[in-house]
Amino acid sequence: MTTILVIDDEFLVADILAFALEDEGFMVVRASHGRKGLDVLQRDRPALVITDFMMPVMNGLEFAMAVRARPESASLPIILISGAHADIAREYGHLFTAVFDKPFSVEKIIDAVVQVVGRPS
Amino acid sequence: MEHLARIESGIPGLDRLLNGGLVAGSSYIVQGRPGSGKTIFANQIAFHHAARGGRVLVVTLLSETHERLFQFLSTLSFFERERIGKEMQFVSAFDTLQSEGLDEVVKLLRREISRQKASFLVVDGVLNARSRAETPIDTKKFIAELQGHAAFAGCTVLFLTSAKLDDSSPEHTMVDGVIELGEDIAGARSVRRLHLRKTRGSSALSGLHEYEITENGVVIHPRLEAVLAHPSTAETLVDEQLRTGTADLDRVLYGGLYASSNTMLVGPSGSGKTSIGLSFLSQSTVEEPGLHFGFFETPGRLIRKAKAFGLDLQGQIEAGAIQMLWQPTTERLLDALGHRLLDAVRRGKARRVVIDSLGAMARAAIRRERIAEFFTALTNELRVMEVTVVASWEADNMFDAGAQMPPLELSSIFDNLILLRFAEDQAALRRILSVVKVRDGQYDPSLQELVFTANGLRLIGTSRRAEMPPDAVSSRPGG
Repeated sequence: MTTILVIDDEFLVADILAFALEDEGFMVVRASHGRKGLDVLQRDRPALVITDFMMPVMNGLEFAMAVRARPESASLPIILISGAHADIAREYGHLFTAVFDKPFSVEKIIDAVVQVVGRPS
Repeated sequence: MEHLARIESGIPGLDRLLNGGLVAGSSYIVQGRPGSGKTIFANQIAFHHAARGGRVLVVTLLSETHERLFQFLSTLSFFERERIGKEMQFVSAFDTLQSEGLDEVVKLLRREISRQKASFLVVDGVLNARSRAETPIDTKKFIAELQGHAAFAGCTVLFLTSAKLDDSSPEHTMVDGVIELGEDIAGARSVRRLHLRKTRGSSALSGLHEYEITENGVVIHPRLEAVLAHPSTAETLVDEQLRTGTADLDRVLYGGLYASSNTMLVGPSGSGKTSIGLSFLSQSTVEEPGLHFGFFETPGRLIRKAKAFGLDLQGQIEAGAIQMLWQPTTERLLDALGHRLLDAVRRGKARRVVIDSLGAMARAAIRRERIAEFFTALTNELRVMEVTVVASWEADNMFDAGAQMPPLELSSIFDNLILLRFAEDQAALRRILSVVKVRDGQYDPSLQELVFTANGLRLIGTSRRAEMPPDAVSSRPGG
């Protein structure tokens, strides 16, 4: 089963994404900030990560840098969902597979996920 | 005496109430029911703080998303999206609260304050924290721990809650200040009012103050009698007398009105109050300008009215000698009116002011018991600003002089009192004027008939009725 990790401190946003991904047949694991995301990454080995930018403890950019620094996850696809600072994120475009602005369209994000990891097996 | 470092709020009126701003490193509870403007209030201060170089952390314990919050804030002028994610961080601790409890939220926030180097923290949704806590003591501990850490880091905190916490609640005892946003209901009107319930360490202006929510955010109108409990400067005593624009009235007043004095014209509708006010104003010059602060008649109507007895108000307005400030008597806030008047006088350096009428202004008061204190503060301030004031008071009784008097506490505030009424004289209705009080001055107390002529207003001693000028155009009411 293809596992997706959703990282967002705002549970509503995380809920919306998780439900939509589960409806598509993905398995979803969640974390409320980047630091927890790294723990979950270690444990659940997701095929792709969708992360928010502005979060407590560790933000989406710091998270992506930490992921890239680890050899085992250096090429893990990461999709960034960002509110006001998509421009900051795009400066670090090489870290992310795709960047979406908030408010986002769930369908477009699902499409992007499917494009990268394929239909859930 | 030490002065505490303060954080300017950027909310018009609030810094005045708080004696300069929020005390840096202190914590405040901002409470009010949903819709009272807590979120706008806190974010307005946050954006102002960021614009002045501060760093802001906004933590929500609510389920509403930040994106929704931004959409809603983006309709307000202080909102600057480009600051978000840079010097302003918005994070949610809802998930941590739900899954790990209050202690973990405190830990998270402690770390975030240092990580963001925040000098201003907003915690929105302390009510949620309270419902989560097993006993109220838990929120007390939450607030105590968080503010202890914030104070150490020099960070000022606002805790927002829609809970109705009373003065004895443990949360109130923990914080340095409590600001309540509520409303007053009077008849069909509802007026928002801010209540400084507790302010530690400063001479803040406590009590209730009216506020509005505009496209620029929260605007507070500090209670005038609280701000100006003592006039802003000392009074300079002058014995100069000012011409009233009505030569006969100068005669009755033995030279005119004393400079910096205030005069109340009391009389029924149509008795000539507005016209006496306009005549007084017509003596304004570019060097010593006048201000008309009116409610009922629009500037256009007043110009026409003045023209009928020979005054070129239009010309004086164009020359800059007279400024007309008109406002309809629809829903108005008393203190907003008071500050508007004082600001206009200050800006225009007005030396003569006509308020037409005090009653219309007083009608804006939600709490009638304030009126005397309000007008005392207003007239005292105008006095030290060396402004000579003529104000009207609408009496509801046309004939009976006894029933015409304004509330006693109001008439005693004014230096001078001039009474106008109608008298029936055979088939005619005549306007009768009498001066009933001139503070520290002499005057002719006899009854005078007020007559409108094309060359101005005339007063005719009632014993000299025969001397009535041939060019009298009208002595009927409403002229």
